[in-house]
Amino acid sequence: MSSKNAIRAKPPYVTASNDLRENEGQWQAYQSEGNCVLLAGPGSGKTKTLTIKMARMLHEDVAKPRGIACITYNNQCARELRRRLGGLGVEDGRRVSIGTLHSFCLQHLILPYAHLTELPVPDPVSVATIEEQKKCWADAVSTVISKDENPRDWEFRCSTYRRTHLDRDKAEWHGDGGDTANVIEAYENALHSKGVIDFDGMVLNGLQLVEQCEWIQKAIRAKFPILVVDEYQDLGHALHRIVQCLCFKAGLRLLAVGDPDQSVYGFTGAEPALLNNLSESDSVETVHLKLNYRCGPTIIKASETALGEKRDFKSNSDEEGTVDLHARPLGIDDQAEFVCDSIIPGAFKRRENLDFGNIAVLYRTKNEGDIIAQEVERIGWDFIRIDQGNPYPRSPVISWLEECAAWCSDGWQSGTPRLSTILHDWVRFNHSIASDTELRTKRNELVKFLHSNRLPTQPLNTWLTKFHSSCLDDTLQHEQRLRDDKIAVQKLLDISSANSPLENFTVSTFSGQRGSATHLNLMTLHSAKGLEFDVVVMIGLEEGILPNHRSKTTAALREDRRLFYVGLTRARSEVHLVYSGWYDAFGWRFKNGPSRFVKEVKASLNSQ
Amino acid sequence: MHISRIQIENFRNFSDVDVQVSKDIVIVGENRIGKSNLVHALRLVLDPSLPDSSRNLREEDFWDGLPRPLKKSDRIKISVDIAKFEDNPNQLALLAEHIISPEPMIARLTFVWQPLADLEGEPTRDSDYEFSVYGGDRPENRISYEIRRRLPFELLPALRDCENDLARWGRSPLRPLLDKVVSELDREILVSLAEDVDDATVALAELKPIEEVAESIANKLETMVGTSQTTKMALRLSSTDPDKLIRALRLFIDDGKRGVEYASLGSANLLYFALKALEYDQLVADGTRDHTFLAIEEPEAHLHPNLQRLIFKNYLRPRIGTEEGASSVKSTSVLMTTHSPQIASVAPIRNFLILRKKPNSKATEAVSTAQLKLSKHDKADLERYIDVNRGEMLFARGVIFVEGDAERFLIPVLASNQGINLDKHGVSVCSVSGTNFAPYLKLMGPLGLNIPFSALTDMDPRQPDSEGNEREPLGPDRVVNGMLQHLFTSELWEESDYEAILDSSSQNGVFINDHTLEIDLFKSGLHECFKSVMEQLSSNSAAKSRMEFWSTNPAELDPIQFLKDIEEVGKGRFAQRLASIIDRNKSKKCPKYIIEGIAHVLEKCNPS
Repeated sequence: MSSKNAIRAKPPYVTASNDLRENEGQWQAYQSEGNCVLLAGPGSGKTKTLTIKMARMLHEDVAKPRGIACITYNNQCARELRRRLGGLGVEDGRRVSIGTLHSFCLQHLILPYAHLTELPVPDPVSVATIEEQKKCWADAVSTVISKDENPRDWEFRCSTYRRTHLDRDKAEWHGDGGDTANVIEAYENALHSKGVIDFDGMVLNGLQLVEQCEWIQKAIRAKFPILVVDEYQDLGHALHRIVQCLCFKAGLRLLAVGDPDQSVYGFTGAEPALLNNLSESDSVETVHLKLNYRCGPTIIKASETALGEKRDFKSNSDEEGTVDLHARPLGIDDQAEFVCDSIIPGAFKRRENLDFGNIAVLYRTKNEGDIIAQEVERIGWDFIRIDQGNPYPRSPVISWLEECAAWCSDGWQSGTPRLSTILHDWVRFNHSIASDTELRTKRNELVKFLHSNRLPTQPLNTWLTKFHSSCLDDTLQHEQRLRDDKIAVQKLLDISSANSPLENFTVSTFSGQRGSATHLNLMTLHSAKGLEFDVVVMIGLEEGILPNHRSKTTAALREDRRLFYVGLTRARSEVHLVYSGWYDAFGWRFKNGPSRFVKEVKASLNSQ
Repeated sequence: MHISRIQIENFRNFSDVDVQVSKDIVIVGENRIGKSNLVHALRLVLDPSLPDSSRNLREEDFWDGLPRPLKKSDRIKISVDIAKFEDNPNQLALLAEHIISPEPMIARLTFVWQPLADLEGEPTRDSDYEFSVYGGDRPENRISYEIRRRLPFELLPALRDCENDLARWGRSPLRPLLDKVVSELDREILVSLAEDVDDATVALAELKPIEEVAESIANKLETMVGTSQTTKMALRLSSTDPDKLIRALRLFIDDGKRGVEYASLGSANLLYFALKALEYDQLVADGTRDHTFLAIEEPEAHLHPNLQRLIFKNYLRPRIGTEEGASSVKSTSVLMTTHSPQIASVAPIRNFLILRKKPNSKATEAVSTAQLKLSKHDKADLERYIDVNRGEMLFARGVIFVEGDAERFLIPVLASNQGINLDKHGVSVCSVSGTNFAPYLKLMGPLGLNIPFSALTDMDPRQPDSEGNEREPLGPDRVVNGMLQHLFTSELWEESDYEAILDSSSQNGVFINDHTLEIDLFKSGLHECFKSVMEQLSSNSAAKSRMEFWSTNPAELDPIQFLKDIEEVGKGRFAQRLASIIDRNKSKKCPKYIIEGIAHVLEKCNPS
């Protein structure tokens, strides 16, 4: 018999979907046919459900040449989704476009359409550096308010205002006395006269294009009849409006995924109400994922106590899990010492096969980060630090350099990361190049450099200097959208040079910064979102730090509560809550006692 | 969807072409004017079967008129605008990023062959160049192969070998049609049929005389090369594998009596077109492509003129439709090049794209009828006229428009007696059968195809009215409002007065006589010829003697009676005989307005 009648190989997602069958919520989402909102608690298999469902929709619901657009919270999330979809045989490309909200706005709205409208967008699009943004804010504040004002305060207030007040032609825009609105307008004019645009500006322009031009809605619907949004709770008002317009006016089908309980980016204008509001809409099917595959029951119970709301999450973990409280009366230094001398060594004793990569120390701010980093350094463990005190900014190009370093270390042998992924990103960075020949040269230069520098022990600075002169610098000089990355790369060069903090970094240590089994994780609670560890240690849990002394409103307090909740729910097996009951700040000592969240958890543990 | 505009810079015959076109395109022009090059230009942008190596052009592909050596700024650029795709989501999905105008949507795809971006100095060899194909006037927005694959440009070349293609399975347009139905057939029936065929085949081969033939072949082979080289011989019908059975089907003509290879060239071509059309429709229905741009070079090849007219009148023209909007549902748009007046004569008036030599230049220019401002009546008049006259007007280098057959018979002879062969100059004399010159002038005038022309019309003086009042002749008003109006831009028309316009008539190619053709001829000195015609053709002796009298006393001519007498014979018949007599006696006498009209069109055709 001919091969024609042989049974066709099933696409990988069909096999993968068997994993969803046992879980009612996951299966319901997998079977959904219209607009669907997936409310997914911690560890509920959200990303798995999302990626398998996306693969299915792409195969069954959307025919070539149309596709699916997927908006994620940040570049890391996008990278992770791409990796997972790759495992299901779906490659990012023309039919699936995965990226952040601002890259969606830039790629699919501003670049193709802004020049056909009256929207004032710089051509070519040049992205403002952080320095330029600061300068423009300072100019705006000194012109509109006075030279004596602190521009940082205004920048913070105005940024949130700008992200939450989207209708400028309405009276409410100038509603609160008008100064905020005036500063924002002056800031935008300053950017415009420099011929640059900032990230928030991209999103605001994207929103305007979508809302004002029906033909753009039509074009987007043709290209992407389905819109997927991940981490909806963190994406703010502009995204919410874009979704309203594209999905409920222009008729795109929506798959939104998120967890209002993990909404911790209030300062960017995000709030849990937007996702809740979306899930209550009549035209969507709302699915709850209640089964937690990550945390033990004790941890789930403690986290629900901390959240202050009953969620009925069920644990699917084999382990009961532990939540331990550690009072260290001598302050944050004492806490850090205790973490390194007792908690972590203890965890290694208790748990076979535990490695540093599965332990995280979480904290609220860079201040606690400085202390714990110092202590870890003293002991001599390798670590990764993600907070404002990070010695170099983690821009997209820097993250990519870490991937390149990983390839040079051992990726060329192990196959992770793949050279093709690295090249793909490289081509993306060089987006202004129109010539095939030139692009080919660019790729060749990169491959040649990477290939001849496969040496994990090479000092980072040597590696980077060679990289810079072989091809990197040329690209950073040319590409107007990489202006911030250019500064970041220069910074990395500086701090890795002789007598600088990262002097001893090798290609291998640098690549370890993307997460590694041998590196202890030090990071803020915000940065820990979406990650999971066997052992989570939270330090600096003082009343005044968490909740923050500035969190006076109910909404702000609720957000701090959610932040604490996010921290707890990162843990598979062990949670350690460390506190002193006091802390120093602004030259004062504040003795407010331990965090109220810690007390609540303690009370609930004792009541058992 | 359809191509709406074509722009070509510096490619082969074309230095700078920019032409609007309509739904379907009929390209007419002399040999070697660049019809195939225009088609090839479109292939560079749209044809997925053209390998990239063919997109690497050569020095000789640059327009000849471009000074050599070529400079760095010289490039070949071909842009194709596409319209009416916005209501088809697939087409819009493909073209959304390439839009250059939103309402109505127009997308632009551009091929460019230019020196390498980083080339230092002037280009000296072909390898100093590269091509790129991009969309939306944004060079960095390179288009993917997918667009060409889903919106392919397919060429049926002039030298197609339809018989061979039909006979060979691999290339047969029958193949995709049959392959498609194989999957729909009942497998069991197919297997049992295959067995029946196998039985019959075996029975046939086992017939004694046939078996002997097989044996004799085997024996012969053995004596030639020995046993080691021979294989076992058997005579069989084509394969009896159930899957290959379908492929063994062949088209037969004449009720299955003869194979298609016995069809005439014409029938094979006809069949070939029909199968191709079916195939394209099926590919769109299957979702493997979203539109086909079908180019047929010289569809008239091998077709009898009558068949040419039939196939294009019945097949092509109803598909093209006469009303706007029909094209958006059609999945194939047709472009053809033709020498055939048969085909041109049945094409809709707006579909013509005429290629011709640009005055005073080596370059070819393109003009089209797509944008002509024609009323419904104008369109109908022109199409009927072009049909009846086999499109000769469109193939002419110059045209003399006249009111009737009389002029059509006489003018070539009058010209010939002046030593001018109108045929040799490519000048046609076309009768508008009356005085409605408007549609013809709109078509050929400077606002239309801008083909050199003159128009000859009568003064037509009128008798006083019943009360004896003088009446204006009809001619001048016709010249101004019926003719020159259509040659003037509306701005120029608005600002000119009647007298000025009338005075400009001869410089605009419109020539008027003093009375009527016959009277002006008579008065020009050809009265002897009139006498001969009347003698030969009239049976009315009074008329004969009147003509004899007037020819000896031309000053005594009574115009009314004179015309009456001619009409009694029949104006056309009279003119025909008059023409042969003038031809024979080689008289150089001719009315001034005719001499001027001929001189005008010749001068326009051959500008000094």
